[in-house]
Amino acid sequence: MSETISSFTGFGLGLRKEHHALFLDEAQPVDFVEIISENFMACGGRALHTLDAMRERYPVIMHGVSMGIGSPHGLNREYLDELKCLADRVNPLWVSDHLCWTGLPGHNSHDLLPLPYTNQALETCIANLLHAQALLERPMLVENPSSYVTFAESTMSEWQFLAALAQDSGCYLLLDINNVFVSSVNHGFDPLEFLRAIPADRVRQIHLAGHSQGPEGMLIDTHDAPVCPEVWALYQRALDRFGPCATMIERDDAIPPLPDLLAELDQARLAARELV
Amino acid sequence: MLAKLQRRFITEIAEGDDGPASSSRGMAIYRNAYRARLADALATSFERTQYWVGDELFSAASAHYILTQPPVSWTLDAYGAQFPAALAKLFGEDPEVAELAWLEWHMQQAFAARDIGALTAADLAQAGLAESDWEDLRLVPAAGFACRPITHDIASLWHGLSGTADDLPPMPNADEAVLLIWRKDFSPQFRQIGPAEWAALDPMLRGDSFGAVAAAAGEHGIALLGQWFAQWLGEGLFSAIRLPT
Repeated sequence: MSETISSFTGFGLGLRKEHHALFLDEAQPVDFVEIISENFMACGGRALHTLDAMRERYPVIMHGVSMGIGSPHGLNREYLDELKCLADRVNPLWVSDHLCWTGLPGHNSHDLLPLPYTNQALETCIANLLHAQALLERPMLVENPSSYVTFAESTMSEWQFLAALAQDSGCYLLLDINNVFVSSVNHGFDPLEFLRAIPADRVRQIHLAGHSQGPEGMLIDTHDAPVCPEVWALYQRALDRFGPCATMIERDDAIPPLPDLLAELDQARLAARELV
Repeated sequence: MLAKLQRRFITEIAEGDDGPASSSRGMAIYRNAYRARLADALATSFERTQYWVGDELFSAASAHYILTQPPVSWTLDAYGAQFPAALAKLFGEDPEVAELAWLEWHMQQAFAARDIGALTAADLAQAGLAESDWEDLRLVPAAGFACRPITHDIASLWHGLSGTADDLPPMPNADEAVLLIWRKDFSPQFRQIGPAEWAALDPMLRGDSFGAVAAAAGEHGIALLGQWFAQWLGEGLFSAIRLPT
């Protein structure tokens, strides 16, 4: 996959149905919106009509949760065909998904499950990504997920795995700063070491989100709260390292009024201005 | 190795067995998330059914379903597809539970069904059909069409549950009714029909020609069939016609 994705340095929001009407009724101060791809796949009716109208007003990014690039059983062809169909309709800035697996043939977890960072897992992810990118006819972005377990089988770190994946598959990276922070607390690594190892020329997007407190000091990536101060600080360090980058506030639960999210996005804009 | 590790992992989060991960507190997070996500999907898809049977019974039915029906599709939206059938077994003495759940499920399927336009009376007029064409004409159901026999007045149950009244509505037995669901424009529709109307509609849905249905209606029934056909077109119950090539 020799195609490239040009840098796009705007500020956007994850599009949630609670805010659809507000986005369509008047121009909101965002440079892009990000949709959850699966919410608009294999369907018709009002959802696609709304998406078409949204596409006329804002650049759209397609963010998926179901590809399962870490599956040794290969990718689901029906899923890929539906994703391609949606991408052809939307013509998004880019298509992204997560570094994870989601299930086995015949048993889907509908979760972003963690991978052991081994050569076999890396080869699996590379092969699946090459397949997906060829079918979609575009390079993809891959996001680092939050995780709650590690595997004794791992032979490299998550950041080494991501760097190798980007180099060998031609994919780009969607860096979720909250996920870096959550995993660093859960597994006891230095988040700055993570950032330092990520190849800057492959990062095309940053997610910012909130998390919640889990059991025994663990953090859970719930996307139901504002971005916390530690994640804002880490975002500033990411900007120092990667430069201006498309940045998005991602909220999936306890959706607040749109002005609250726009105010959070302004905080990201302010951080980027400080960089300049 | 990767495939084996993943099989052990998903078995643990679905069934709570020992897994390969080094951190059991972390596995508990995945296990809880798996069950909560599926339970939430069922509660969202079957909101009226939950209200009708009550939270406690619904939670028990939901937990049973999660244990016995692992999700197989790539989309979580498909997870509740077998839940009405599971409820039919769990609530065998109360068939209205599964019937209400079936209505809820198919209303959502109709809402998101792939777009196909509705066949209108104007479309038929513009088609310039000859009399002989009507003999062979067959009708294609609308987007999201589904139907099933019901034993209770599910329509009243649905409308009663959509209000704010605290009291549950009365539930008179339906009289051999059939429940139809389809989508018109962007809105899912449903209607209960009686046995006479069903006897006319059913053969058309099975692919019989309009001529065959009209012949079966006979001289005495043809006027009523005409009224029903006009109503079906007005309701957007069909999407297209098919003629022999």
